[in-house]
Amino acid sequence: MSASQNLIDSALFISQGAEAASIFLLPVIFSPDNDIDSIGQKVYKAQLTSNSSPILLKHRFQKQYRHPTLDASLTRSRIAGEARTLLRCLRAGVNVPGIRMVDATNGVLGIQWIEGESVRKLLPGEAEGEDNEEVDLLQEYGISIDEIMNLVGTEIAKMHKADVIHGDLTTSNMMIRPIKSSQAELILIDFGLAFQSTLTEDKAVDLYVLERAFLSTHPDSEPMFASVLAAYEQRMGNDWAAIKSRLDDVRLRGRKRSMVG
Amino acid sequence: MPGKLRKSSPLKNSDRPYLALGLEGSANKLGAGIIKHAGDGSSSVLSNVRHTYITPPGEGFQPKDTATHHREWAMKVIEDCLDQADVSMHDLDCICFTKGPGMGAPLQSVALVARTLSLLFDKPLVGVNHCVGHIEMGREITGAQNPVVLYVSGGNTQVIAYSRQCYRIFGETLDIAVGNCLDRFARVIGLPNDPSPGYNIEQEAKKGKRLLPLPYATKGMDISLSGILSCVEAYTYDKAFRPNPILADLEVENVITPADLCFSLQETVFAMLVEITERAMAHIGSKEVLIVGGVGCNERLQEMMDVMAQERGGQVFATDERFCIDNGIMIAQAGLLSYRMGFRTPLVKTTCTQRFRTDQVHIAWRA
Repeated sequence: MSASQNLIDSALFISQGAEAASIFLLPVIFSPDNDIDSIGQKVYKAQLTSNSSPILLKHRFQKQYRHPTLDASLTRSRIAGEARTLLRCLRAGVNVPGIRMVDATNGVLGIQWIEGESVRKLLPGEAEGEDNEEVDLLQEYGISIDEIMNLVGTEIAKMHKADVIHGDLTTSNMMIRPIKSSQAELILIDFGLAFQSTLTEDKAVDLYVLERAFLSTHPDSEPMFASVLAAYEQRMGNDWAAIKSRLDDVRLRGRKRSMVG
Repeated sequence: MPGKLRKSSPLKNSDRPYLALGLEGSANKLGAGIIKHAGDGSSSVLSNVRHTYITPPGEGFQPKDTATHHREWAMKVIEDCLDQADVSMHDLDCICFTKGPGMGAPLQSVALVARTLSLLFDKPLVGVNHCVGHIEMGREITGAQNPVVLYVSGGNTQVIAYSRQCYRIFGETLDIAVGNCLDRFARVIGLPNDPSPGYNIEQEAKKGKRLLPLPYATKGMDISLSGILSCVEAYTYDKAFRPNPILADLEVENVITPADLCFSLQETVFAMLVEITERAMAHIGSKEVLIVGGVGCNERLQEMMDVMAQERGGQVFATDERFCIDNGIMIAQAGLLSYRMGFRTPLVKTTCTQRFRTDQVHIAWRA
């Protein structure tokens, strides 16, 4: 049995997303359905040593539906890719979790534990009729929806400037971390599908994926996404024009395709 | 969104039984079916007749020839459909036809038949979105309540979830549809189109053993398939490729057979489909998956989806070829639902469209 497996066994299980599974040794902070990992892994909270700060373990367990060879190569390349892009983001000053351990063969990645709440939970349209609670959360984090959108746009722009493409931008994949006596910060998470690219095409598709996630998860969120783009534009500067026109192309693409047959 | 308290359905139980005729001809299948909605809310399929335009191996179906086929067979198929259901045209409440999406010429030839019948027998017309037809029939047959829908056919590849009276598209193909990808590869290796190229790929894949590396192209919840088709086609020019492998070939290590290519293509493409479906399930927190569309009858896809759903503690709903492959009954089902909500298509609006997105339809009959 590998060291990673021992670590997983000692940790506390949080949730199963679409692809990898996470370990909890400490008190459960998130209830199981609170933290949905959208790329399919089991997520755990664990500690490397008894007095170190907690880390998040992502275990891409073997997908039984996939051919074992295909599954093994995908797992290996995605774990390595995730670590690599996280590192690149960290170097470029993008807010992402720090890396704590990598075990690509066994599909385990350990990253810094982020205390906070996903953007998805903070935006309206998510909670089931519990509008009051949302307001409370926003107040508790001392942040307005507008400010969140601003942070989202800025953080994505920083990432794209470092030529990192997230590949799965959704509101579930962004966390808001409160900071005492200062504005909360936004952390991008879940780089399982991320890759490096300088192409305008890839950046535009990245934004398009987010736009679709916004519209399908948060009803009537067009103005919100508009302010994300506004903040993105500001940060991107001269690169924005090309991305903007490509984004318009990409939007048409899905539409064009869908209706043959 | 799922998880919300279920509101009561806007569709009221009817005071009398309703009957609808559905006519489908958006691609190479011409279908006619009659559905009955009884007063107690149950529905039954009275007949479901289909005739497929089959082209020789290596050839696809051209719009013009397909339209000719539909025109030639329309009377026969509709007569059979009425005979089997044992109803007369006068008993019908409405005539439903596919408004789109699909190939223009075949769509038009069937719409023309629908218009003619409507005028002859003085029956109202209901234009139906083909994709919504698939989803509604799948829900009706399997009893799935609020599933994530994977719609995979020769012309469409979409991951869909219902929200606020609309079937929203979460993910889709960015280029060609999965059925198109499989069919075109069947043409490359000369598999027959009878009963369908996809079926023959599936049978061939069962004999395959080697998994050859192919691109794996998921982009968020979208996928891209055209590059995979080019890549798998490129293997047929490989020196190790044997179009008609003999026994001695199979003992050599590095030989590539058509069966291996079918196997690799299916494994890779279906893994991508299952992955984006799983991602949609995780994203919206649903445990049910419904597979509809022609590729949905592929048993390997159903099997992979089933394994994924079980890993998540969920369930897969799928139907057999009668309802998966394009048919008239699904058009009747979706059309009758909207008819009962008061929807009619006036004669001047009974045009067809090749581009008609799933999310453009107002799903008035669901809460």
